[in-house]
Amino acid sequence: MVDVYTFVSGPLAWAAFTICIGGCLYRLISLIVLAYKKERFIFTYMSFSYGLRSIVHWITPFATENWRRHPVLTVVTFAFHISLVIAPIFLLSHIVLWEEAWDLRWPALPDALADTMAVIVIAGCIFFLVRRLKLPEVQFVTTASDYVILAIVAAPFVTGFLAYHQWVAYPYMVIAHIISGEVMLVAIPFTRLSHMVFSPLTRAYMGSEFGKVRMARDW
Amino acid sequence: MKKSALFTVAVPTLLLLMIAVAGSQEEIEFVDNSDFSNAQRPPSVFRHEEHNEIAELEDCAECHHIYDDNGQKLEDESSEDQRCSECHESRSSGRKPSLTRAYHVNCKGCHLKQKKGPFLCGECHVKQ
Amino acid sequence: MTEPAQQSETKAQDKGIEVGISKLDVERIEKVVTGVLKGETGARLKAYVETCIHCGLCSEACHYYLSHDKDPHYSPVGKVKQTLWEMIRKKGRVSPEFIKTAAVIAHTECNMCKRCAQYCPFGIDIAYIISVVRRIIHRLGATPLYIQDTAHSHSVTMNQMWVKADEWPDTLQWQEEEAQAEIPTLRIPLEKEGAEVMYSVIGPEPKFQAQLIYQAAIIMDVAGVNWTMPATIGWDNSDMAMYTGDNELMGRIKRTHFETAARLKVKKIVMGECGHAFRSVYDMGNRWLGWKMPPIRIVHAIEFYYDLLKEGRIKIVKKFDQPVTLHDPCNVVRGGGLGEKSRYVANAICEKVIEMVPNYEHNYCCCAGGGVINCGPPYKMTRVNGNRVKAEQLFSAKTKGAKVLIAPCHNCHSGLHDIVHHYGVGLDIKFFADIIYACMEKPEATEA
Repeated sequence: MVDVYTFVSGPLAWAAFTICIGGCLYRLISLIVLAYKKERFIFTYMSFSYGLRSIVHWITPFATENWRRHPVLTVVTFAFHISLVIAPIFLLSHIVLWEEAWDLRWPALPDALADTMAVIVIAGCIFFLVRRLKLPEVQFVTTASDYVILAIVAAPFVTGFLAYHQWVAYPYMVIAHIISGEVMLVAIPFTRLSHMVFSPLTRAYMGSEFGKVRMARDW
Repeated sequence: MKKSALFTVAVPTLLLLMIAVAGSQEEIEFVDNSDFSNAQRPPSVFRHEEHNEIAELEDCAECHHIYDDNGQKLEDESSEDQRCSECHESRSSGRKPSLTRAYHVNCKGCHLKQKKGPFLCGECHVKQ
Repeated sequence: MTEPAQQSETKAQDKGIEVGISKLDVERIEKVVTGVLKGETGARLKAYVETCIHCGLCSEACHYYLSHDKDPHYSPVGKVKQTLWEMIRKKGRVSPEFIKTAAVIAHTECNMCKRCAQYCPFGIDIAYIISVVRRIIHRLGATPLYIQDTAHSHSVTMNQMWVKADEWPDTLQWQEEEAQAEIPTLRIPLEKEGAEVMYSVIGPEPKFQAQLIYQAAIIMDVAGVNWTMPATIGWDNSDMAMYTGDNELMGRIKRTHFETAARLKVKKIVMGECGHAFRSVYDMGNRWLGWKMPPIRIVHAIEFYYDLLKEGRIKIVKKFDQPVTLHDPCNVVRGGGLGEKSRYVANAICEKVIEMVPNYEHNYCCCAGGGVINCGPPYKMTRVNGNRVKAEQLFSAKTKGAKVLIAPCHNCHSGLHDIVHHYGVGLDIKFFADIIYACMEKPEATEA
């Protein structure tokens, strides 16, 4: 067990972070290079202010027509995404590991709040799953990969939640948690989880087109 | 912001029990976490005598060490008459680790090296 | 050609598509699809396809989806799934039958109005994806017959309607003479070099709707505009090649148009009440030719009327007294930001303007634009059934008192006519120019 832990929290963690960050950079740079080679006009039309205007509207709950049309989804998706990003970064247990390894430390969330956020992420995954299964317009365009992505995202939070509460199979749950977290990191650049990297770009481009050329609102 | 708070404030009864145990000096069952103002996790399970027996530890300075100002460990001195927090503050300074880091590196670091003893969060900070 | 009649589908039969796919096999399709995807698309399509999280939030943007009781086949992403995703998944190895379905979806079940781009949280340009599909269909030679015919007309005559070289100045002179009955000194100045304005129209105006040229001439004359029209090719600002994916032809058409304006040394091009032509001149064609923005200032009729009214160059004798409701065409409002100016004009010439809901950029499409109405009679019911929601929107405006529907776009005008007629909405449809012409101050009419 010590060896397993040493491996998953050492070399494997290094690999996961390297692949995640390197992969995201690679995807981002290769996309920009592709745009430069074949669609250079994108740089011509891209506008910082209009791009930002569009992004700000879409990352503000209920600031767009479509968010207002789907109040439940809006609340869930914002709570889900905020929790998904914030909880792992500001989780005390994670910060303690950074401190151990690098003597780095930053403010942590109270455990109770982080625990709630984990529940929000898990509930969000269930909500999205039900949506995929039940809503015809979502079900129609759902592929197997969509379920895989949901599972990849849910796994670290389910295992993390169970490990934190030490309810079942404690040591194994921690190992499962670490591995599933690493799977998610690796999956980010190479699955549609890459919307984390790409969506600000697509949003900014559409915002630029609408602001600069079309002189209309895209929200 | 928060002092590096590792241990949750335990339920009052547990707290009372701990103080009683700590007061006796003889049978330590938990690490005394009273230096952490807003502990998030339960105090570490730590039965001092049993641990040292199993670990075959003779030298108190293995844990109760003293370092000089140059970061050199002083071979013949030990610090069991001091509280850890007298040296280790809430923040690391220079090569001197913060209190939480000192505990973690000292306990978990040794356990990993020896491949013996607990090394996962919940193995020491056991939820009651 | 005598294939066993297996299809029991109710969808329209289209010779352009049928004959087109009869010449295809999987290998040829694969070559064209990969050729387009690898050769002609880049970062945008890649980012759009890989970023789409399949959430379905674009669905409610689409009038086809709303009008078909939320049938997911008609949602924007649903249409992409049935066309481009499948082509990508099979690496271009799809069947001729698949191409047929894709052609029908891309050409007749999407107006490329870009409303969905306003509803996608990631700003994915689904209309662009559909245009890629149309490009593939074009290169496979399976474009619907009627719209392909207009593209052929563009290619041969540089106008959309097979108007011959002599018919064009003839028509202008005819309208000039007609208008002289009203204003004897009126001219339609042809080939006037150095005029301030070149007025350009779409092919159907001389072909079927010459009275619109008449009205424009009256407005120009009364407002004292220094204007001209070309006697040569380049007078037609329309562009169906843009919608068939024949980008090369689109470039030829737009180059001719811009170069004609340049030859006449005009300061700006004023265009009639047409949406798709505005898109072509202002957004698409200029880009194909390498111009970030149009090389010559483009003024859509709405903006032109706005300027004339605001500057007092035309005066309204008596405002139009019937309550009107205003349709915001996608290409000039979502595509050109003319929503406010449109309302200024409407309020300046009409006593009462009743807003339809939704409006401005969020207005429902007419279901005729994007080349769909140009795919011809076989698809009339596709348009009408695909836009029940528009009828409901118009009914609701009518309930609030509207009697007249202003649609400042040719495609919208024709498409809305079919919808109003089919659903019995009972609204009169007018262009701005119709009302301006009727209500403006004109010199005393002379007795004939």
